[in-house]
Amino acid sequence: MPAYVTWPALRSPDTLPPVGILAFREVSKRFGGRVALDDVSLEVSRGEVFGLMGPNGAGKTTLIRIGLDILRADEGEVSLFGAPLDRSTLDRTAYLPEERGVYARAKVAELLSYLGRLKGLKPADSRKAAAHWLERVGLSQVAEHRVGSLSKGMTQKVQIAACLLSDPELCVLDEPFSGLDPINVALVQDLIEERRASGLTTLLSTHLMHQVEALCDRVALIHEGRLVVYGDLEEIRRRYSPHEVVVWTSMDLAELGVNAVREANGSWRVFLPETETAAGYLNELIRSGVLIDRYEPLVARMDDIFVNLVSGGVE
Amino acid sequence: MRPDRIISVAKFEFLSVVKRWSYLITTFGLPLFLALISGTVLGAQTYFLTQRASESSAFGLIDEADVLDESVFEDDGGVRVWKVNALEIELYDSLDAAKGDLEAGLIRALYVVEPDYLETGVVRAVQSEKTPLLSMHGTTVEPVLRSLLRRSLMADRLDDEVQERVITPAYFVRTRLTPDGADVVGVDETIDLLVRTAIPLFLGVLLLTALLSASGYLVQTVSTDKESKVVEVLLSSVTPEEIIAGKLFGLGAAGLLQFAVWSSMVVFVAMSASAALSSFVTIPWGAIAVAPLLFVLGYLFMGSLMLATAALGANAAESQKLTVGWAMLAILPLMVMVILLDEPNGFLGQLMTWIPFTSPLTVILRLAVDSSGIAWWEVAGSMLVLVVSTWLSIRVGARLFRVGFLLTGSRPSLAELWRQAR
Repeated sequence: MPAYVTWPALRSPDTLPPVGILAFREVSKRFGGRVALDDVSLEVSRGEVFGLMGPNGAGKTTLIRIGLDILRADEGEVSLFGAPLDRSTLDRTAYLPEERGVYARAKVAELLSYLGRLKGLKPADSRKAAAHWLERVGLSQVAEHRVGSLSKGMTQKVQIAACLLSDPELCVLDEPFSGLDPINVALVQDLIEERRASGLTTLLSTHLMHQVEALCDRVALIHEGRLVVYGDLEEIRRRYSPHEVVVWTSMDLAELGVNAVREANGSWRVFLPETETAAGYLNELIRSGVLIDRYEPLVARMDDIFVNLVSGGVE
Repeated sequence: MRPDRIISVAKFEFLSVVKRWSYLITTFGLPLFLALISGTVLGAQTYFLTQRASESSAFGLIDEADVLDESVFEDDGGVRVWKVNALEIELYDSLDAAKGDLEAGLIRALYVVEPDYLETGVVRAVQSEKTPLLSMHGTTVEPVLRSLLRRSLMADRLDDEVQERVITPAYFVRTRLTPDGADVVGVDETIDLLVRTAIPLFLGVLLLTALLSASGYLVQTVSTDKESKVVEVLLSSVTPEEIIAGKLFGLGAAGLLQFAVWSSMVVFVAMSASAALSSFVTIPWGAIAVAPLLFVLGYLFMGSLMLATAALGANAAESQKLTVGWAMLAILPLMVMVILLDEPNGFLGQLMTWIPFTSPLTVILRLAVDSSGIAWWEVAGSMLVLVVSTWLSIRVGARLFRVGFLLTGSRPSLAELWRQAR
């Protein structure tokens, strides 16, 4: 980590108790007659990667803007780092908006240095941080180029560097992967993982459910301004998973009286009894003498959960 | 508001503007262009004056009507010459001799008092083919000849005093009735009033030009932030108040730099003029001294309003339209300048001193035209009003700025603006 960070950074996630870094309590917001957020309560904890999901227009960006004091809530409370929103604590956060822009006429290093100063870094530290993060995202060679002359992907990386410049304790990334090639997607994933390993918090808003599954510890799904799902990612996946397992075996499970159907790839899809767990049923199959090549509990994909919740398919 | 953030925004905005080619060309190119034009005009003028100076100042005169008083002509080696006002007027007896001297270039023109002069008043001016017909108008020869003819016609008919009054019928001496009833002899106040009026007028035009020029930059920067979506990143780091203040100071500094460069062109001329004029006019130093402060305060106030309203526009053109109203309010003192000049410390002048839109120009004008009628507390009070208004304008403007930026796509309703501005 860079040595120029001035605030007491949190570097020992294992020794620190989980603390609500950003908390919304019963937050509502209206634009004219339209309800953008309706009584939303959730909390982003220290050191986690928190996934904020929802269809377009669900209220994610409004929630983020309220959390960063860009917009004010009509009702409810917001706390940041355990205290009511305050401009001084916002220096410990960073934001990569979905509709992000840059000053096209500015030079890359000059722009980063400016944005660093706006986050409270001293000019010399800001320049050092700019050089450091440009190197991290592989853009050192274009430091003196005008931002407007860069490709879309490079501009995107400049914006990500700008966001990470002050080494923020809370980083809010709204669709950070859009416009990036697979190599740079991996680079951003690595940066997010590094932050988690360092005990830094990331709030990730994305439509890419496989990224949510790969990166997030906890998630929230907002739909039409209301919080629909909120909690631990794995727990949610389990909650919305079918009570089924897939078994690969050469034996005919149907003949053995198992409530199962054969799939096209030769595996068996087994419908578990209401009271049975996947692990318990595996033991039972083994005790029954079934020779199992492979056994896999069916866990719902976030894509399916998202589509079903948003389209009303899941209660 | 955090000063370090304001300075960062101001510095960035200042450098962004002053590094543009358009700014450099306008700031340095315009004075150079004007200097080039002025240099060319002055050069040409000097050339022609030099040419003229090298020409003969001698003129010929023939009196065919026999009306001239020849006593003013002195014999100079057989030639009768009247030397007056750096001119040499030679009296000829022969038209042929005079024409010969004219063709030889010894005299620039020949004036012939026609035989029927008393009936017609005609004096024929004869010039050589080489001389443009209008070139005699620039000399003093014709007024001198008129004066000679008047004196000649009156000689022996009127006494000397009456002759003088016919030549110069009146010298106007102006006096002023003072409050204690004394009728004091004064000087001609035309130039004095002209200078006193010109200064506030010049400062007013300067303030308006600065405002309109700066408003262009202000609208441009707001539109850039809005259209490029960079504002959301800014708002996650600094408050709208800090953004507005930073932009105001940064772009204001760029505007002031531009006017400093422009003003440097005329400083020398102005100082020379003031030195020359100070002997017979009163330079309104009070107005000149407070003008910079009022200028800056007026700019900050109007600029903050312009920034806030520019943010409500969907694009640069719309933002520009929204800000025109503020410029119109600033023009108000110029529109009622005739009334203010007539009665600088009257009700209108006093009222406009306390209105932040009009106070900078009004105070400068009152100080320039009649500083005895404006109290020090009025000057200080108008400045205080400007400072408070600017602070309020930044506070309310910051809220409108936030709303204007974030409600992209649809313009906020007046009700929404009112709700946010409270």
